Amino acid sequence: MAATSAWLSPPSRTELIENLVSGVDRYNPSNVGILEDYLYHQIRSEEYDCLANLAILKLYQFNPDLFNPDVVINILLKALTAEPFPDFNLCISLLDDRPTNATLDEPDPLPTLLPLLTNLYNLLHQCRFSAFWTLYRSDELEVVRENYTVECAGFEDAIREVAARSVKATFTRISGERLGSYVDLSGSKLEAWVAKQRWALDPSTGVVSIPPNPDNQIESVVIQEHIKLPQLGKVISHSVQAK
Amino acid sequence: MAHQRVALWAAEPDLDDDINDVDVDIPIPLPSSTNELYDDPNLQLDEGALQAMQQHIAQQAAFAQIPDVVKRFIVHFHQAVLDNNLQEITVAYESGWTRLTEKYYAKTEWPEAETIAPLVNDDQIFLILYRELYYRHVYSRLQPNVDDRFHSYENSCELFNYLLNSDGPVQLSLPAHWLWDIIDEFIYQFQSFSLFRSRPASKTDDELAMLASEGGAQAWSSYSVLNVLYSLIQKSRANEWLKARAEGKSDEEIEEIVGEYGTKPLYRMLGYFSIIGLLRVHVLLGDFTLALKVMENVGLGQKAPFTAPTAVHVSTAYHAGICYLMLRRIPDAARVFTGVLNWINKTADRMYALLALCHVLAPTRLDDNVMNIVRERYGEQIGRMGRGEEGLSTFEELFLYACPKFISANSPPYDDPAALASMLNPPTPTSPTSQSPNTILNDPTQRHLRAMSSHFLSLTPVPSLKSLLKLYTSLDAQKLTGFLDTSGAGADEEEVLSWMMVMKNAGRCVGRVNITGPAANGEKDNEGGLRPSESLLGGDWMSISDLNFVIDQNMVHIAESTVGRRYAGWFIRNSEHTARVLDGIKASPLPPRTAPPVQKKSVDVPKVEGAPRTAGPKVAWGGVKVA
Repeated sequence: MAATSAWLSPPSRTELIENLVSGVDRYNPSNVGILEDYLYHQIRSEEYDCLANLAILKLYQFNPDLFNPDVVINILLKALTAEPFPDFNLCISLLDDRPTNATLDEPDPLPTLLPLLTNLYNLLHQCRFSAFWTLYRSDELEVVRENYTVECAGFEDAIREVAARSVKATFTRISGERLGSYVDLSGSKLEAWVAKQRWALDPSTGVVSIPPNPDNQIESVVIQEHIKLPQLGKVISHSVQAK
Repeated sequence: MAHQRVALWAAEPDLDDDINDVDVDIPIPLPSSTNELYDDPNLQLDEGALQAMQQHIAQQAAFAQIPDVVKRFIVHFHQAVLDNNLQEITVAYESGWTRLTEKYYAKTEWPEAETIAPLVNDDQIFLILYRELYYRHVYSRLQPNVDDRFHSYENSCELFNYLLNSDGPVQLSLPAHWLWDIIDEFIYQFQSFSLFRSRPASKTDDELAMLASEGGAQAWSSYSVLNVLYSLIQKSRANEWLKARAEGKSDEEIEEIVGEYGTKPLYRMLGYFSIIGLLRVHVLLGDFTLALKVMENVGLGQKAPFTAPTAVHVSTAYHAGICYLMLRRIPDAARVFTGVLNWINKTADRMYALLALCHVLAPTRLDDNVMNIVRERYGEQIGRMGRGEEGLSTFEELFLYACPKFISANSPPYDDPAALASMLNPPTPTSPTSQSPNTILNDPTQRHLRAMSSHFLSLTPVPSLKSLLKLYTSLDAQKLTGFLDTSGAGADEEEVLSWMMVMKNAGRCVGRVNITGPAANGEKDNEGGLRPSESLLGGDWMSISDLNFVIDQNMVHIAESTVGRRYAGWFIRNSEHTARVLDGIKASPLPPRTAPPVQKKSVDVPKVEGAPRTAGPKVAWGGVKVA
């Protein structure tokens, strides 16, 4: 279960949070503060705990009075960086449409931001990384950058990791220019990033080599059927009984 | 008022006759010379007593309408429940009730509980059970009105209150089938109420008043429904019981662990069914991770730890499959659907439709029998969905048909008429077409549909890419772009490369079984369900595409995997068939030389000891399909 163990139970999760995620205490509205604090801890420390964040959205779903749009936006930004896992959609699934909340002091930013965040997500999901950065850097997204991602430590690097996951599965070599457009880096910053990935940039050609991994090595195979003993149980037992 | 009274009295003589017929002792606390009583102007009846009396009279009239056979049935049913006679209860529940419903109540309600109360000595517990059936019949055969919806909630509360808050476990035995129906119906009515509540546009004043009342806000709340299910699970210690079984604990140890409630079949089954009920509730509310998390101790694909109705397995597979679909773990979804479709037959059309969606999102090899039925029913749609963006409408239609009716956790603001009005007619001048008053507000189904549709759309370039790449072992990316840009619509190389990455991502996914590798982790050979529990949310990366490729700068290299011919299933099936035929022949008596008519006997092959074929050849296939 290697692919999901960190998602199911990240090392940063404390016992207190684990009890909230896995027990019936998750329904207790008075625990929302603990989970929200944990979210802000994730925001500051480049950590991520999807199930704990879903527990916040669950409490919001059942207790609309608790609803805090800033928290929701931060959860969605965190979930963006989990692609290709479907975390973003799992969060959206819990966001019941609410009648406009008049009790908030300030206007609810979510109705305007949600379509923008969804667009960002779709670009990532379609592996249109250059387009993602163009939209992300646009004026329209200024409010997201200045109010939210600026506080979210390592947000842009986490998005670069999303691109890196697709690139290293698909390419053995890729031009530095193209790669740069996927991760919104160039020059020495790109070189440093490539080095951090432990990929190799050939300075003379500007081509980046990506080391072999299970996804970028291909071979033609013929899949043979595998027959297990239990499948032959009846045939064998019959042949033993037959005189 | 007076007029109505006369009409009621006019029916009185018949009423008496009928009651005498059934020979049931009913107290009638009415003066004998009633006509005089009403004529007496000096008599002062207070309003309350008058109403009570009228109600009583109405009930007697209703009682008179009940056919004798129904009265006898109720008396008998009541006795069976009093005796805790499971067999008799089962007969009454499964055949008696259904038969009488067909005969007398196909289009009307059963008699009200208050009306039949005299038949069962006013046994409150039986009356609660009776109302459970009464309302279920209203929901399934008739149209529940707003009163029915509130009253069925109250009755459910009374039932669960009795089960959970009596002094110790109650002395009641009910068949598994009924217990499942109780849980299942409870959730169905919750779902039905939520959907009813979510459409404020079409409500009568009465309905609006009820929904705005304090009780209206409480009835069928998500918290109350979850509370019932979690309480039943905790009271019965169903999770602890399942865990102990999986760990192979002895019967004595298990008895110790589950306590006085959990040892009773009634509570044990209710607890187990409540876990599966929770799966469904979480799915309806859009919490697909939590839904699978609560199922951790139950698992999937294992035999139920007791004989459970087929509906339990169908509900489990359907809802768990939906979770995997929404988690984009398509092979896991397909496997769960296939697992149950293998042994329930044609009753689950929606699951076949979901399998068609799975097949489009991630074609993997599935059980041939099941896949043939999918193609038979949805072959045309599968074809249309393979045609890129124009397939979207077919995809959406099929999803909307096959998905559950998702619900909102919260009510529209019925208690705040101004807010409700602004919800129905948004003050901002929108274009008149965008918000017709009949649209269902807060429809969560649309939200889930959007997520699925955008995933579907992201995959639309894959089929044509794939068929093109199959023709080559290596191909220049620019050339590939040229091939794809036949219309000159301007597919550029960057776009094609992003499609290639999408295709790469679509070719692998997280799943619970590595279906391509030899290490196929045997889900099906469970040793009597004693496998240690494992997380239904866990999984490993696996490759699900037969076409693999890699890009070296601008050159695409392609490798195709082929599936070798499969012989095992055919061989095993036919060997087993031969063995059965052989056994049959050996077990038949030699035909007497003189009498040819006996020959007929050898045609129907008698069962032979030692030929284990209770499950038929399917078992062998079950293994092959995953290999």
